[in-house]
Amino acid sequence: MKLLVAVKQVAALDEDFEIRADGRDVEADFLIRDVNEWDDYSLEEALKIKEAAASPVEVVAVSVGPEDADEALRKCLAKGADRAIRVWDEAIEGSDSIAIARVLAAVARKESPQMLFAGVQSSDHAFASTGVATAAFLDWPHAAVVANLTYTPGGDTAVFRRELEGGVLHEMQIECPAVLTIQLGINTPRYASLRSIKQAAAKPIEVLSLQDLGIAAPDVGESGSLSRVRRMYIPDKGRAEMIEGDVEEQAARLAQIIKDAIGGAA
Amino acid sequence: MARDPKHDILFQPLKIGPKVLRNRFYQVPHCIGAGSDRPGFQAAHRSLKAEGGWAGINTEYCSIHPESDDTHRLSARIWDAGDVRNLRAMTDHIHKYGALAGVELWYGSSHAPNMESRATPRGPSQYASEFETLTYCKEMDLDDIAMVQQYYVDAALRSRDAGFDIVYVYGAHSYLPLQFLSPYYNKRRDGYGGSLENRARFWVETLEKVRKAVGHDCAIATRFAVDTLYGQSGVEAERDGVKFAAMADPLVDLWDIDVGDIAEWGEDAGPSRFYLQGHQVPWTRIIKQVVKKPVLGVGRFTDPEKMTEIVTKGFADIIGAARPSISDPWLPKKIEEGRYDDIRVCIGCNVCISRWEIGGPPMICTQNATAGEEYRRGWHPEKFPKKTSDDSILVVGAGPAGSESARVLMERGYTVHLYDTAQKIGGHVNSIVTLPGLGEWGYHRDYRELQINKLVKKNRQSQVALGQKPMTAAAALAYGAEKIVIATGSAWNTDGTNCLTHDPIPGADASKADQLTPEQVLEGKKPIGKRVVILNADTYFMAPSLAEKLAVAGHDVTIVTGVHLANYMHFTLEYPNMMRRLHELHIKEIQNAFCSRIEAGRLEVYDIWGEGSKRSYRGPGVLPRDPNKTQRWLDFDSLLLVTGRHSNDALHRELKDSKAKWAENGVKDVYLIGDAEAPRLIADATFSGHRLAREIEEANAQFPKPYRREVAVWGVSHMPEGSTQVEYQT
Ligand SMILES: Cc1cc2nc3c(=O)[nH]c(=O)nc-3n(C[C@H](O)[C@H](O)[C@H](O)COP(=O)(O)O)c2cc1C
Repeated sequence: MKLLVAVKQVAALDEDFEIRADGRDVEADFLIRDVNEWDDYSLEEALKIKEAAASPVEVVAVSVGPEDADEALRKCLAKGADRAIRVWDEAIEGSDSIAIARVLAAVARKESPQMLFAGVQSSDHAFASTGVATAAFLDWPHAAVVANLTYTPGGDTAVFRRELEGGVLHEMQIECPAVLTIQLGINTPRYASLRSIKQAAAKPIEVLSLQDLGIAAPDVGESGSLSRVRRMYIPDKGRAEMIEGDVEEQAARLAQIIKDAIGGAA
Repeated sequence: MARDPKHDILFQPLKIGPKVLRNRFYQVPHCIGAGSDRPGFQAAHRSLKAEGGWAGINTEYCSIHPESDDTHRLSARIWDAGDVRNLRAMTDHIHKYGALAGVELWYGSSHAPNMESRATPRGPSQYASEFETLTYCKEMDLDDIAMVQQYYVDAALRSRDAGFDIVYVYGAHSYLPLQFLSPYYNKRRDGYGGSLENRARFWVETLEKVRKAVGHDCAIATRFAVDTLYGQSGVEAERDGVKFAAMADPLVDLWDIDVGDIAEWGEDAGPSRFYLQGHQVPWTRIIKQVVKKPVLGVGRFTDPEKMTEIVTKGFADIIGAARPSISDPWLPKKIEEGRYDDIRVCIGCNVCISRWEIGGPPMICTQNATAGEEYRRGWHPEKFPKKTSDDSILVVGAGPAGSESARVLMERGYTVHLYDTAQKIGGHVNSIVTLPGLGEWGYHRDYRELQINKLVKKNRQSQVALGQKPMTAAAALAYGAEKIVIATGSAWNTDGTNCLTHDPIPGADASKADQLTPEQVLEGKKPIGKRVVILNADTYFMAPSLAEKLAVAGHDVTIVTGVHLANYMHFTLEYPNMMRRLHELHIKEIQNAFCSRIEAGRLEVYDIWGEGSKRSYRGPGVLPRDPNKTQRWLDFDSLLLVTGRHSNDALHRELKDSKAKWAENGVKDVYLIGDAEAPRLIADATFSGHRLAREIEEANAQFPKPYRREVAVWGVSHMPEGSTQVEYQT
């Protein structure tokens, strides 16, 4: 019995940053890398199932990315994942979430887990589509934004809850294998001890190429994507003014601002 | 990050007499426990601030003559060539970093008890000091006046020779010049008393003489408490204050303005419990309006926004700071570089001041564990020696000691896991901040929390694990750390154990419904009845703080105290307003009384001086005094036990007991820091964590390395040409 957990090494902006020369991303030097917050929860959910299981469960973490994604995978290994797989090929550069999903689906086919967990979204790009797109490529049932899960390993179905508006909960059942996207707060992610961090540093990470997965290069990267970033930019700052003076002066200034804003009309 | 251009105004240079301040940040005179006897400490502490961007940096009050000797408290002195030599170390070091050095020339009159020199202080009229109540001065005649003014001149000349750029005539905190000005002290009927012109004469003449002596070489400053806060019986800002300022303006190059006196100088160095940043501005701005010379004001300025407002609105030209400069000697540099969230904000606890009030041990700071350790331990607050091993470290407990230790270890490059059961870094500070007036103490936690969160981003192997299960010895050993630091804090005693009897009090038991520890009060889960009795054997803030909190919430509060209630708050200058607060809330205090036993709803109280005063031998098993028969019952609905604390050291004991398993688990050493080692001030807990982090490579790092001492050296004379022979008059 196997659970596959997709994780992503996301990027956060440093205090100061610059946009790349081509205007389509932030200059890599200004990015701070970390594991996507949602993925901490999906890994924890998988580890909880493994620990509660009567029969052996294998938790496999997978990430699509260059070598720096190893950091995310090592974190998973330190917390208790049994294996880690990283898929990379130069051709994957520039992929959107659909192209990434194509790769993840290929890994899922290869590993044939009972369930694939992904985060609801990644904190950097926030498309919230990788998980569900993977399900589409696999033609597996899927559910998004799962806030509670009951699953007995080996079972054909899982029961989960989703939060709807106004505090209403939706309880549903799904056939396995399935893809679930996991919401923050579903559990309390654990921390790795120093010992397991050190041990994880020595564990192997399986690196797969496109060839290993039988994916043709044009099916990933920009050519394999359905969307394309035109530009990334910082919008002009809104103007704010601190209105000072006594109440009358403040009122007069405010009236003036409104007049200016509505133009000649007044 | 670059600084916000709106703060540029704080970086504009300003001319003061013959000198130029490079910006508007100025360390006003404040004691550190160095004076002129610990020149290394003095030079290092002050020049670190010059490096950190301050434009002007002063000594503490600096006595001009043995007639003004503050022993047991520790001032600087510029009495002779020996002092000049020692103070030169400070000015030289400050000058290396392009800042100006100032000296605050001080004559104390009756406020200085002259316990070392045994000289007789002189004053405007004879009075017994309200601060040193056994010290009287001699009323000066005209010869005395001329003589003391010459002391100022001679001291000013020595100051110039010692390399000082700014020379003060110190007339704040009710020292001599202000004593002449204030009718509270000055009862004279000659040309130096009576009218404002007469009362101002001593000060004005002294400024004239000092200016004539050194005014070409040095900027002349005067520190003026423009309001002694007694109403008409002292100096009021809008009466004598503005008039004196206008009169003396031509004679000064810099006005250093504050308020208050010496006996209650917490009105100047206002604790955060009672005063916000900028609390003196209403007075400072009054003087700024009447003088032409640059004005500096104080008021625990830590926030660049507030500072900018002070300067742009014309309330003052220069930002004076004592405590903020102790808490963060690099405050100006951090503002200049736009590193606003790296500022270690002064929490206003006044523990720095407590050491001066106690009588001169080196100053300490709750926020900045390196304060006072610059020279003797070589600690720089912003620079850390690189780690010397790849040992990883587990710190159990994220309170003041643990979080400080983790921060410094991370700064040094170590991989650190900081572990706590609480959801937030800060330990007991998280609950202390909910006590009345102590919200700003939370900056201690905030600084560490923010820095640690930045540091774990730099080293992904490091981690902050909050909300965890209590750590066990087995889990700690198996954790995989080479070094384990235990910082599990302390707790209030639940059984009444206290500093007076060293034993539990019969019947004391905080697991009962009507008895509570301070933690239980702060937690807010246990109901508290209308009539509250606080049984106190602690001399700091917990009992009065809880009394205030509960009285405000409508309880009738009585404090039974076997120790001087809030005694340490004398030293932090919180005492006067704390007492006013207890008084206005109708909190009753039963002093010199403690408790012999507790029953449901009542405690037995006795007078601690109730036994016989005559001591005689009466055989074994019999007290050598007549027994205490003052016991009586006092009823309560809820009893608060503020009797003492104990370390939470069980984990450490267990780890020590399993020493045999250390090696097989790869554990090299285990340490105990902060309250878990022994309950203490937050400042000292923080220090202990910092100290361990700097010395963790030492063979026995649990125990501090020796520090460099500055003491008189046998065979070396203080005076350049002096002798050290034992010689008697013949
Ligand atoms: C530890 C300490 C010692 C002080 N010693 C002196 C002193 O020697 N002379 C003096 O004029 N003021 C002294 N002060 C008062 C400060 O100069 C200042 O007026 C007061 O602390 C208010 O400024 P702040 O709010 O920036 O701390 C001292 C203050 C502190 C904190």
